[in-house]
Amino acid sequence: MPTDGLVSQMRRGALEYCVLALIRDTPRYAFDLIDALGKTGMLTTEGTLYPLLSRLRRDGLVKTEWRESSDGPPRRYYELTTEGRRALTAFRTEWSAFRAAVDGILQEAKKT
Amino acid sequence: MTAPHADPLITGYLARLADAAAGLPNGPRTELVDDVRAHIAEARARETGEETDATILNILDRLGEPTVVVADARDRLGSGPQAPLRPGVVEYGAIVLLPFLWPLGVVLLWSSRAWTRRDKVIASLVPPGGYFGLVLIALTAQAAGVVIQGSGPLPGFGHLYILLLPILIFFAPVYLFIRLRPGRSQVARGGRARHRRPVA
Repeated sequence: MPTDGLVSQMRRGALEYCVLALIRDTPRYAFDLIDALGKTGMLTTEGTLYPLLSRLRRDGLVKTEWRESSDGPPRRYYELTTEGRRALTAFRTEWSAFRAAVDGILQEAKKT
Repeated sequence: MTAPHADPLITGYLARLADAAAGLPNGPRTELVDDVRAHIAEARARETGEETDATILNILDRLGEPTVVVADARDRLGSGPQAPLRPGVVEYGAIVLLPFLWPLGVVLLWSSRAWTRRDKVIASLVPPGGYFGLVLIALTAQAAGVVIQGSGPLPGFGHLYILLLPILIFFAPVYLFIRLRPGRSQVARGGRARHRRPVA
């Protein structure tokens, strides 16, 4: 399918912000994020989440903290920073506008 | 119960990952391998049934081919989401000071990340650099005036300069203010971000 590459590129681009959105209210650890993203089909190759998380941390959009876990090894929790919150808000606005624009054009094309 | 070949399977995977990641900078490479190692440990701890080699293979499969993970890491290292830059004291300071305290304005201008290099060059050079420009214009105007008095080739040239002066002085701050639009600031933050801007 010709749209395969496009869809995976779009998914990849949006993934960063989906991660930020998932930790908006409560810090989460990587596996928790993988569960949430996996259910929606946003993440197919689990390993690729880690470079993404490092990148977010290096950019100061998230901060991390190791916490003991009752049922396994210690977990690194990811928490949104003020910068991250700002980036998420900006993306939300952009995304709404983008989605509305594409939807509008697709609807219009359907009518004709 | 541990899978019979858990250790060689995991060690092998991590070794392939480390190999693939050899081209990455030291920090990100170590971090990636450590993260994936922790992931495998967590995944194994989560498995409820008896652990078999298939369990381990499934965990590694879901992680993805090391080359794919590293290719993604390489892409991500170069680009990522950035928080939109909010104009602050530096930006407004530069705008306000540029016409009045040109040297300070220029320092602030260049220390801000809100504008592209092109914007900074334009704002620093045109119009004619606050104080220095002012002096220069005054001198030129004076010279032109002298030329006029001495039946020069361009009568009224000096007056034109004086008329243009107020417009010229405020060109830079107005230009910078326009270029400070929120949508722009993110683009201006790094050369890489600029390349990522959608073509449409």
